Amino acid sequence: MNELRAQLQEWRAAIERRLPSWWPRALAVALIAFGLILPQLFSVTSNFVNTEILSLTYVMFALGLNIVVGFAGLLDLGYVAFFALGSYAFGWLGSGWFYKAHVHILVHAPASTIPGIHLNFVLILICAGIFTALAGAVIGVPTLRLRGDYIAIVTLAFGEIIRVFALQGPSLKIFGMPLTGGELGISGTDAPYLPGVGMFSQLNIRPWYYTIFALVLITLFVNLRVRDSRLGRAWIALREDEVAAVSMGIPLVRTKLFAYSLGAAFGGIAGAFLAAYTTLIDAGEFQFGFSIFVLSMVILGGLGSIWGVVLGALLLANINYYLIPDVFNSLPGDLGLNFNLTDLQVSIFGFLLVIVMVLRPQGLVPERRRKLELTRGLGETELEEPGTSWAGVEPGEVVQ
Amino acid sequence: MRFLVAKGLAGLLVLGSVVAVAACGSSGSSSSASSSSTSGSSGSASSGGKTIDIYSDLPLTGAVTAQTVPALNGEKLALKQAGNKAGQWTVNFVSLNDATATSPTNYDLNVCQANARKAATDPKAVYLVGPFNSGCAEVEIPITNQGGLAQVSPANTYPGLTTNDPGTSPGEPAKYYPTGKRTYLRIVPRDTIQGQAGLVAMKQEGCTRVAVANDKTPYGVGLATQVQLHGKANGITVTGVTPLDPTSPNFRSYASTIKSTGANCVYTAFNPPGEVELVKDINAAVPTAKIFGGDGVCSGGETNPKMGGFPASIAPLFFCTVATQGLTTYPGGKAFLAAYKSAYGVSDPDPYSIYGYEDMQLALKTIAGLGAQGDSKSAVVAALFATKNYAGAIGTYGFDANGDTTLKSYGLYKVGPDGNPLFFKTITVS
Amino acid sequence: MEARSLPTRTASSGGKRALLAIRRAAGRWGLVALLLAFPIYFGAHDLITGYPGYAHGHGTRVHDLTYLGTNVVQGISNGAIWALIAIGYTLVYGIIELINFAHGDVFMIGSMTGVSLWSAIGLGLATSTLGLVVGLPLALLVCMLVCGALNVLIERVGYRPLRGAPRLAPLITAVGFSFILQNVGLLWRGGSTVGVSDLIRENKSVVQISGVVVHRADVLSIGVTIPLVILLGWFVSRTRQGKAMRATAQDPEAARLMGINVDWTISLTFLIGGALAGAAGLVYALYETTIWYLQGFEAGLIAFTAAVMGGIGNLRGAVLGGLIIGCIQQTIDARVGPQWTPFFVFGLLIIVLVLRPQGLLGEETREAG
Repeated sequence: MNELRAQLQEWRAAIERRLPSWWPRALAVALIAFGLILPQLFSVTSNFVNTEILSLTYVMFALGLNIVVGFAGLLDLGYVAFFALGSYAFGWLGSGWFYKAHVHILVHAPASTIPGIHLNFVLILICAGIFTALAGAVIGVPTLRLRGDYIAIVTLAFGEIIRVFALQGPSLKIFGMPLTGGELGISGTDAPYLPGVGMFSQLNIRPWYYTIFALVLITLFVNLRVRDSRLGRAWIALREDEVAAVSMGIPLVRTKLFAYSLGAAFGGIAGAFLAAYTTLIDAGEFQFGFSIFVLSMVILGGLGSIWGVVLGALLLANINYYLIPDVFNSLPGDLGLNFNLTDLQVSIFGFLLVIVMVLRPQGLVPERRRKLELTRGLGETELEEPGTSWAGVEPGEVVQ
Repeated sequence: MRFLVAKGLAGLLVLGSVVAVAACGSSGSSSSASSSSTSGSSGSASSGGKTIDIYSDLPLTGAVTAQTVPALNGEKLALKQAGNKAGQWTVNFVSLNDATATSPTNYDLNVCQANARKAATDPKAVYLVGPFNSGCAEVEIPITNQGGLAQVSPANTYPGLTTNDPGTSPGEPAKYYPTGKRTYLRIVPRDTIQGQAGLVAMKQEGCTRVAVANDKTPYGVGLATQVQLHGKANGITVTGVTPLDPTSPNFRSYASTIKSTGANCVYTAFNPPGEVELVKDINAAVPTAKIFGGDGVCSGGETNPKMGGFPASIAPLFFCTVATQGLTTYPGGKAFLAAYKSAYGVSDPDPYSIYGYEDMQLALKTIAGLGAQGDSKSAVVAALFATKNYAGAIGTYGFDANGDTTLKSYGLYKVGPDGNPLFFKTITVS
Repeated sequence: MEARSLPTRTASSGGKRALLAIRRAAGRWGLVALLLAFPIYFGAHDLITGYPGYAHGHGTRVHDLTYLGTNVVQGISNGAIWALIAIGYTLVYGIIELINFAHGDVFMIGSMTGVSLWSAIGLGLATSTLGLVVGLPLALLVCMLVCGALNVLIERVGYRPLRGAPRLAPLITAVGFSFILQNVGLLWRGGSTVGVSDLIRENKSVVQISGVVVHRADVLSIGVTIPLVILLGWFVSRTRQGKAMRATAQDPEAARLMGINVDWTISLTFLIGGALAGAAGLVYALYETTIWYLQGFEAGLIAFTAAVMGGIGNLRGAVLGGLIIGCIQQTIDARVGPQWTPFFVFGLLIIVLVLRPQGLLGEETREAG
């Protein structure tokens, strides 16, 4: 087994040595181009593209959670709170829910004729991001003095509290109007309107795809820049050793709260997008299971590793929303067995998580810093990957 | 640098394989998001060029299958009886499932959307039976409306889908019809009617103070609201409306509060989950209170102790309303029961079985009546809204301009000697 | 790698020291005040404003503490079930610092096993008292064994291979097992809540203490929990294996150096945790007369909250946390409404942790290696 692994490492090193230096950039461009062409290969209402829209939304969620759990090392089990707040931000600002108000900013018909608060889609996304960022900071405050796993329970508690408010919304009145729709939901949200693209429709999901694709690219860009910035390094320092980091002058409170805020903002924007796409904000969607789902994507992909998290999110979302219900569902029937794979969906998913974690606990594409930590100075362990070294790393270069 | 290569290759591999599988998957089966739990194949072979597609979208996974599988069976029975033909057209039936095992509400909103999109953009589709849940309808109706596809639900009762009756949200129902024209109908009366029917029944049974409980679903909340709104007009004092979590292991605290309000009857606006436990707990706290339910709980699964229902000692105190008045009283009812029994071996099917049957029959007869125009979505919609005095298995009815059925009679059911609901009175709401 | 909480700066002047002492005292007493706030408030409310009652054919207002007493009694009996599950969480966390998400679902399997066992050995509503007295403890024993074994199996397959792995990896394995167990429950008993025969006639009253009714269900719950907790306490403090558990929890490396078989000790911990969850499952089934495949998920959340509130890693803390949450739940359920209960439970948790970050009875757990 170890020999096989060593052999694979050698081949990989040999291939990598032969590649030109612009290869990574070309690859990134190729991937983006592939992502752009993808919907054109399928029909305008293709279920596969629908799944990819959902997957990309989860990529954005996972990248947001990665900032909190991966970069800053704060175990957040209440990420669903930001999903909910982002969704409701869209429901409040982009539908006829608050029917007593008459606010219309940069919207097109029919939204401009209906009572309520109607903002332009881009404006709503920005507002959702700011709103959830503030909420993230508020949620972060009580956790500042807590040890690792206690942060988990407090964030979980906040997630559940937000859920109670979402469910009880109909009985909570603001200026005589209910706060949320509870489980009946806020329905009939505005379709986004972008100049040049026109009004989004549910019968042509390509514009939706490109919107979330653009959002994911922006998220990736921000993540990559932040990771290599002072703030990113501060997070990593705090994660590794809080006492040492504080002694070196890193402002503890500000840095932690910033992690929560930024992670929450991405969650809120993705939540707002998903609310727009689904057109119904049902309080039943905001369950603890969502937080676990996104956390699995982050850990499976490789805690703290941006590309790993992207991979983990794409993989798990596709398996959960497409492969099992759609593609594999008819498999037992085709084989002559009399059951529905959807009935086993939950355990297949669980099984997958167990297998992947046992075989590759560091995640699919581990954060390189962790890999180096584990190989330098710790002697032979199962996780060591021979061949990794500091050679080729410039002084001052941040090792991800 | 090197790691970017690894990531990139891995990412490409994942995407590539998923695309490959997707391409195979989507080209392979015509109903990829489907497969009912009773049969493997979901369609009849389409022959020649004169085919039309009829879709059905129900939640076919989880606890709700106790009602939706009989509904689906009813649909298939109607198809079988018509030989898979609607006049000159051969019907290609596609059954879709909007439930996922992981979704706590049974139906998954994004799956509902995907199914609606599939049906609405299918050029040969002319009719969609479903959905089952009002929440699912809220996202599906705008899509089928934009596609101009006729959608007829055998089960949605939330009033806001078709009207702006008191108790609905502002902006309803217009927000579900972006084109401004109606394409959605339902063959069951909405909760505005059912709520009032319940009140009439309760008054007749001697209730003066009624406590109302709902299970927080759109159906439950809607029905409970209607009961509350019309209580006074029917001479009944509603002591309160309480939302309860249907998955709660017991409702003892709620039951004890009923006792202190002096209510002599309880209206449970519930779906099957939780109903049996609720009835047991209410009876334990207030042994003389009469308990009423809507069509959501009017089946053997709740009333028959052998099927997991509440004990027989509570039976004399339980009543429920269903939009059908005893299948055997209709001309079509007896025949349906006999046909259902011979096809599926069940002599007392869930009431939703006949709703599914009726929905499909309506489709077939309407399409057949259009002759050569049977494959036109708009023609089917127009014909449905023009339906008057249609003699169906659940009675003679038509549709009003909102898409609501003109049926306003409800059947009041007691628990029969065999433990299953037994029709005993007709309640007509003025 | 583990983030520790910051050491408080030593006060340089007497004034600052006094301030610190005041803060600490306020923290401790503030906490006590917070926990007693609900009973005091509702007790006062009952006595002064009265609560609705029903007598002589019409509504009345009653002015006594019976209602509060009922809430507390039911809270303790409910809380005892949570305490049993919370102990499992806290034991496992204390020894390998893992939040075992699958634990709640082991509890659910315990319930289902118990119910199936009754039908298998023929216990039903018609069984005589003797039959129940013999049959139920037998069922309890079997449930405990099955769940204990299940827990050990999960540990062996999912957590042991990940001993040297990043800290969050076994968390995901736990989630995976949680899903698998849920699916087992789904396939076993279906998706909706399943009614269970009321074997012990759980609503029958056993004794009335100044108006507060104690039902058979309450006696069952407390009657099973107290002996088990006492037994566990004795085991952990008096026996060799218990000492081994404590040693491993404090410092596994040192324990290994002292000749303790760490692997075996960890397995034992999981066995005990699982057995307690199994017992809780059986009691739950008899108490609530309803089981559901998702009950473990929710119960796990509550039990985990209880364990943390009491100070994770601390046995008595877990029991205390469970009882407190049980009482809060019953009180809020009855007076405000069950839809608001999670808000109060989790809100209380947050305030407790803000005032006392290590939990009510928490101590410093082992230092990061």
